Amino acid sequence: MPKKRKSEFRKVMKKYWTNGTAVLGTCLLFFFIVIAIFAPQIAGVNEMGDNYQIPRASWSSKPIAPSAEHPFGVIGGRDVFYGVIWGTRTAFRLGLIITSFAALIGVIVGSISAYFGGWVDEILMRITDIFLSIPFLVAAMVMTTILGKGLDKVIIALIIFGWMSTARLIRGNILQAREEQYVLAAKALGQKDWVIIIKHILPNTIFPVVVQMSMRIGSYVITAAGLSFLGVGAEPGYADWGTILSFSRNWMTMLDQSWFAIVFPGTAMVLFVLAWNLVGDALRDIFDPRMRS
Amino acid sequence: MDEKKALLQVEDLRTYFHTEDGVVKAVDGVTFEVFPGETLGIVGESGCGKSVTSLSIMRLLDEKGEIAGGKISFDGEDVLAIPESKMMKIRGNDMAMIFQEPMTALNPVFTIGFQIMEAILLHQDVDEKKAREMAIDMLKKVGIPEPEKRIDEYPHELSGGMRQRAMIAMSLSCNPKLLFADEPTTALDVTIQAQILELMKSLQDQYGMALVMITHDLGVIAEMAQRVVVMYAGKVVEYADVHTLFKNPRHPYTWGLMNAIPKLDEDKEVLYNIPGVVPDPLDFPDGCRFNTRCPLATDKCRKEEPPLVEIENEHTAACWHIDRLIETIKVSRAGESA
Amino acid sequence: MTAYIIRRLLLLPLIMIGVTLIIFTMIWALGPDRLLASYVKSPEALKTPDAAERLIKKYGLDEPMPVQYLKWLGNIIQGDFGYSMVGKKGVLPSMLERFPYTLELTIYAIVPVVLVAIWLGVISAVNQNKFSDQFIRVFALVGWSLPDFVFGLLLLLVFYSILGWFPPGMVSTQFDLVMRTAEWKTITSMPTIDALLNGRLDIFIDALRHIILPVLTLAYLWWAYLLRITRSSMLEVLRKDYIRTARAKGVPERIVIKKHAKRNAMIPVITVAGGSVMGLLGGTVFVETIFSRVGMGRFLADAASLLDYWSIIGGALFFSFIMVVGNLVVDVSYALVDPRIRLE
Repeated sequence: MPKKRKSEFRKVMKKYWTNGTAVLGTCLLFFFIVIAIFAPQIAGVNEMGDNYQIPRASWSSKPIAPSAEHPFGVIGGRDVFYGVIWGTRTAFRLGLIITSFAALIGVIVGSISAYFGGWVDEILMRITDIFLSIPFLVAAMVMTTILGKGLDKVIIALIIFGWMSTARLIRGNILQAREEQYVLAAKALGQKDWVIIIKHILPNTIFPVVVQMSMRIGSYVITAAGLSFLGVGAEPGYADWGTILSFSRNWMTMLDQSWFAIVFPGTAMVLFVLAWNLVGDALRDIFDPRMRS
Repeated sequence: MDEKKALLQVEDLRTYFHTEDGVVKAVDGVTFEVFPGETLGIVGESGCGKSVTSLSIMRLLDEKGEIAGGKISFDGEDVLAIPESKMMKIRGNDMAMIFQEPMTALNPVFTIGFQIMEAILLHQDVDEKKAREMAIDMLKKVGIPEPEKRIDEYPHELSGGMRQRAMIAMSLSCNPKLLFADEPTTALDVTIQAQILELMKSLQDQYGMALVMITHDLGVIAEMAQRVVVMYAGKVVEYADVHTLFKNPRHPYTWGLMNAIPKLDEDKEVLYNIPGVVPDPLDFPDGCRFNTRCPLATDKCRKEEPPLVEIENEHTAACWHIDRLIETIKVSRAGESA
Repeated sequence: MTAYIIRRLLLLPLIMIGVTLIIFTMIWALGPDRLLASYVKSPEALKTPDAAERLIKKYGLDEPMPVQYLKWLGNIIQGDFGYSMVGKKGVLPSMLERFPYTLELTIYAIVPVVLVAIWLGVISAVNQNKFSDQFIRVFALVGWSLPDFVFGLLLLLVFYSILGWFPPGMVSTQFDLVMRTAEWKTITSMPTIDALLNGRLDIFIDALRHIILPVLTLAYLWWAYLLRITRSSMLEVLRKDYIRTARAKGVPERIVIKKHAKRNAMIPVITVAGGSVMGLLGGTVFVETIFSRVGMGRFLADAASLLDYWSIIGGALFFSFIMVVGNLVVDVSYALVDPRIRLE
């Protein structure tokens, strides 16, 4: 009996689920999704209305070590546990919104650039170069300084300076795909340009973008947290891992008193980003030979 | 039977690859000999295992591949038993190989001079100055003009034909006893092909090395080889000297290959080609592996694998219906001359 | 090759102008009222109701954008970057006096980053999927996931607050006083180097103690990134035909790796290594803030929290300039290393 070769999809699934790190990443991600969805049940809500404002737990500025009442302690008068749990929602919001819009802009710019070529390509790529010449963090800092504090400002700032690598990636892939035999063959058959792009080129160039997106989510969340830490991101008291960390700045020389303000949001951040990185890494390993061919 | 002792003896070689889809039996029981100074041709379609055979002999398989059985004897030594350190001394020195695509087979960041000298310095006891002289001399021998200039150039600065000549120079620089040429002219223009083949023949005369010419092109075989191994799906299907092979092929596959060559003095309307495609290496058919495409196949062919039998002196073939093939050939040739 | 370099050199000012345009546009978008705040040194000047209007006119804040931009650009070219609240003097002088400290930090960080990352990346690739590779990969992956400022805070927590080994700051107070005396020769403005040049080994060691944690923090993030790039580049190269040719020649395996593979694998790594140096500079913002050091990063961080717009612009321009020059250097060295590009 001739043996049937496994279908492509099942092969991909098998490769993914036997990859230990991929499974770990997916589980972690799932864990965070559950926390984010059930945040009200886990940490309670803010009676005053805005759930994203961490409710005050004490009016003194002294940090309070973890206890039964405040499992992750209190810093800057705010309950760290609440902040970390609701911060999960914030992290997802930040990561998904920024990545989607930045990728969208990047894909549009890169596609136009690759498709039209010539001076359109030249100009768009120079503009991309210029945007890339400002270090990401620095640019984000300038933007948030100007726009002001607040999560939405952070989102805008990171989108404005986050699209370039996607643009370059998709442009490179399209240019490469254009020279591929199957595209030339389709052209020779008289296929229209836009049909070729949608049917042949995009499916083969979109996967690297997806992989890149999943890797970038973690990095955007980190940068946003960094901005909050520096005091130019979300307002203090917002349920965001970075803002909790920023409270520890007042206790730099006595970090042993505020360790929980570092360890708990820090751990959450690491695990969150790790999850996305593992998943992205596994996706890349799977799609790699395909991208090559 | 020749009194000469064989330089290379391959006995029942089996090389398997362990892929995630299963085991690929790329070489599944291959036996042949190469005598000093002669040219053995290994011919077959892509995927029949001819390249893997030579890589196995030189022990250049990647991690997925392993030599699962058989014996390889080179110059009296058991190649599969010696340690890697000893093998490294043999490679490039007593046994060398040239590959199909010289652009990718040459390291782009080193000059061709460096790459040739590296081989020389590795295996011969000379200093750098002498090695450079020898390298320039080699380049001259392979017909590269202005060798003193070219020696310091990078692979991408040379044309395709030059690159292949450089590769030949590199592989012959230590005067090996045996040279494997894996489709050396396939990637080149037809006119350059002829030049390279001429070059190889003349170098063989000069150096006296044995040459294993691996190709899918019967024309190259006819030009270069003294004896021929015909491979199909990992197995040897016919083994004879070149004249006998072309005059009296005794395997349907060999016959099919020959028919597929358009002849100048013929006026066919439809070119013959062997129907069907090479079987999936993960899933060879039972019985004779050629049965799915063979016009003479019967039930016996589909159930039992034919052994290699000696038809006449030093001519073996693996087919259940050699007599029917002989008839078919007679009829076909009679028709042609009519 | 020379044509390539010239073309890139010509692009450099154009790109910088583009950068200035973007940065200026962002600041200009603040509007005249908020910008005025950075011109006015004390609230007194705004006491009278029409004072604001008068001052806006005086500083030309109501003029059309291109005019303001060109005026500002003209000032920049002449070296006038405006007044810095953080530095309490001109922005350019403030930056110049802080730059050596950041440079010192970066230099100490580059060496571990590049050497360790490349070394481990090669090992990882050569031993693909064996234990050492898996271990290194996990290590690098965790490194990639741990933000540098969290890492820095953790280091400070453990090695200073708990263990007390490595304090934040530049030097201990008593040495700081010594460095302010007239006898002290400030040659490079870098504490560790100057300490050696002044013959004070004790100050040198003290400065080292203060710089260890910041260097580790700065180096660490990029170390993980560079390792991954080296590994994947090496893996790709090891698959190439010319590696098989080298083995077919009888080249010993360790030379195949060290010479044939590595030379080719390093080509893309250089680009990334270069880029990572640029990123190192960006990381100084966090590192200098957390470890209470003086430098360009701290300058920018302070400027951001004080809403000191001129300082922010100055800082952003500075970092961008380094980035652009750095990219040029990387591109040129790429051409030097890869003969295929060199000879085009």
